[in-house]
Amino acid sequence: MSSASSDEDVGTEHIFYRDKPQWKDIHPISQDEDEPVVAIDYSPEFTDVFDYFRAIVTKGEKSERALALTQDAVKLNPANYSVWQYRREILKELNKDLHEELGFIEAVIMKQPKNYQVWQHRRVLVEWLNDAKYEKDVTEHAIQKDAKNYHAWQHRQWAIKRFSLYDNEFDFVEKLIEIDVRNNSAWNHRYFVINNSTGFTENVVDREIKFTLNQIKKATENESSWNYLRGLVLHTSEGLSGNKYITSFCEDLYTSGNRSPFLLSLIVDMCSEQVSKGVVDTEYKLERGKALCEELASKVDPIRTNYWKYVAKNLEKCAETCGDFSKII
Amino acid sequence: MNEAFACPDFQPKLHKRLLKHILREIPRNDGTSDPNRVVIAHFAVLGLGILGELDCISDAEKEKLISWVYSLQVVDDDELVSGFQGSPLMNTKENRDKNAPYKWGHITNTYSSLAILLLLGDDLSRVNRKSITKSMKALQNEDGSYTATRLGGTESDMRFVFCAACISYMLKDWSGVNIKSMIEYIHNCISYEQGFGQIEGCEGHSGSTFCALASLYLSNNMDQISDVHKERLIRWLVNKVNYGFSGRTNKPVDTCYSFWTGGALHLLGAYELLAPYEVHRHKIMYTQYKNGGLAKFENYPPDPLHTCLGLAGLSMMKIDPLEDIFVPLIITRKAHEHLKSLHDKWGDSPEENEKCLVL
Repeated sequence: MSSASSDEDVGTEHIFYRDKPQWKDIHPISQDEDEPVVAIDYSPEFTDVFDYFRAIVTKGEKSERALALTQDAVKLNPANYSVWQYRREILKELNKDLHEELGFIEAVIMKQPKNYQVWQHRRVLVEWLNDAKYEKDVTEHAIQKDAKNYHAWQHRQWAIKRFSLYDNEFDFVEKLIEIDVRNNSAWNHRYFVINNSTGFTENVVDREIKFTLNQIKKATENESSWNYLRGLVLHTSEGLSGNKYITSFCEDLYTSGNRSPFLLSLIVDMCSEQVSKGVVDTEYKLERGKALCEELASKVDPIRTNYWKYVAKNLEKCAETCGDFSKII
Repeated sequence: MNEAFACPDFQPKLHKRLLKHILREIPRNDGTSDPNRVVIAHFAVLGLGILGELDCISDAEKEKLISWVYSLQVVDDDELVSGFQGSPLMNTKENRDKNAPYKWGHITNTYSSLAILLLLGDDLSRVNRKSITKSMKALQNEDGSYTATRLGGTESDMRFVFCAACISYMLKDWSGVNIKSMIEYIHNCISYEQGFGQIEGCEGHSGSTFCALASLYLSNNMDQISDVHKERLIRWLVNKVNYGFSGRTNKPVDTCYSFWTGGALHLLGAYELLAPYEVHRHKIMYTQYKNGGLAKFENYPPDPLHTCLGLAGLSMMKIDPLEDIFVPLIITRKAHEHLKSLHDKWGDSPEENEKCLVL
């Protein structure tokens, strides 16, 4: 794709719009503000460009030169949503090649990957073109620069859902988790892809549980994988304590001496499940849950002492009213 | 514990100086703030309010600020672009007091404008409540979310749902919100981690979570959070607090999340679970800049957002001399009391709205 970064003004002398012969017919219009608050000490270039921007919007001019002016304006301030909006009006009016514009916005995004307006501009263009063939590449580049860029993930998910681009998406996310098992955005994307493609069928949940337990083994203090595991269990009726893979995995890990707060927290919730159902014949009893909360509060996770005391109290309350599902914690 | 967490002293005087300065001017390299200067003013005024230092703004300066905010009000029932602009960017001598192309209200700037007016003690008598609400209604999408401006100029997500809820609460008029559809949107944004994302399918984020909960709180719909979800959400949130506050799983702590994450816990009635606060506070203290202001991270330059939200976060930890805040609106308790007294005056009759001054 063509790149707008090639037309940088580096080395060339700046010419003000007021000195450009092709703009002679336009009268610049300044901002109307008597007594400014939060005043910005605008550079002369900034004032010059925006005085002409106000002039063309007032006149309603949609021309090649106006398009070029908006390009200068967004270079000075890519967060100006009015400029982007007016630029889109011009693009439409002049019936411009939108693929060229996609190239331009890609270059801007690469410089400003955490700006709402640039991604919004791209999204509108993709809608207009009804073609999302570059979206995976563009978002992948942004994700390579920052694996947790919320804007990039949001755009990717929008494009995937809107244009049904689920093919190969699973491999993409698998690679990212392999690179960094703590990348929560990647885990979230894994969930997104399954949820919107195959759905969480029994087979899929089984496969995912096995995958996740393996990932937990690699980094037992990684909250991302534990949270994903909890998310998977929401799609089953048996709960945490009713899934043999999970219970035996957790028991083995605990027995081996592991004291990840996320492991202990999960076992506490298993106790909570069984207590709330009023089950007596189980490893997951009130006393065990309370003891784990105590271990978390005093040794394993002391920064959350008050939280673990609160959980223990809830567990006790739950035992008092056991069997009442509306009060499950 | 105290020695282990010895940290720099809190410097309210320096923060006051910086915020007062921001109200006058911001640096040239902050040109990206140009379309949203009202939001910057909001951070400065709110920050001073939390510091209990609004009196450092003279009456004449307050008047000037209030007039400036009102000069940005747009009343346009034809194009449905009423609200407050974020700056005079599209204002010219020719279109003064007139409607013109691209003179649009913006939902965040409308929320920020109303907040500034309330913090400064204005009675909102010049706010055209009816037109703002009518235009705001047109910003709600079919899925219940909001966009920020008319005519397709901006994205749609949970931030703007929050702004719509704040505006409706402040103007005491919910006719601009289809609440059923708003609640549905909020529900659809619950991630498998139990936090809320900006849009459906997005990663749980404590900023969006705060926005979702505050919208439910302000519209009197907290009962939409089930007991089961509430406990899971509290767990997710307390896990975002590790010697400081982060906003997503496995992300580093950052000053502004002392408000977003802390505020979300506050709305769930669970903020006290974080006590003792000293261990979380010290990370924020290290982001204080030597000339005032708070930054995102240690050794980063300070900015208005992190200064203001950092102060809001510290206020929830009851640090002297900070004022209490009314968390769901992110406003001082005093300003909220002022709002309540205005609401009492307005009464319940919708006809009262008719009497609002037209710009």
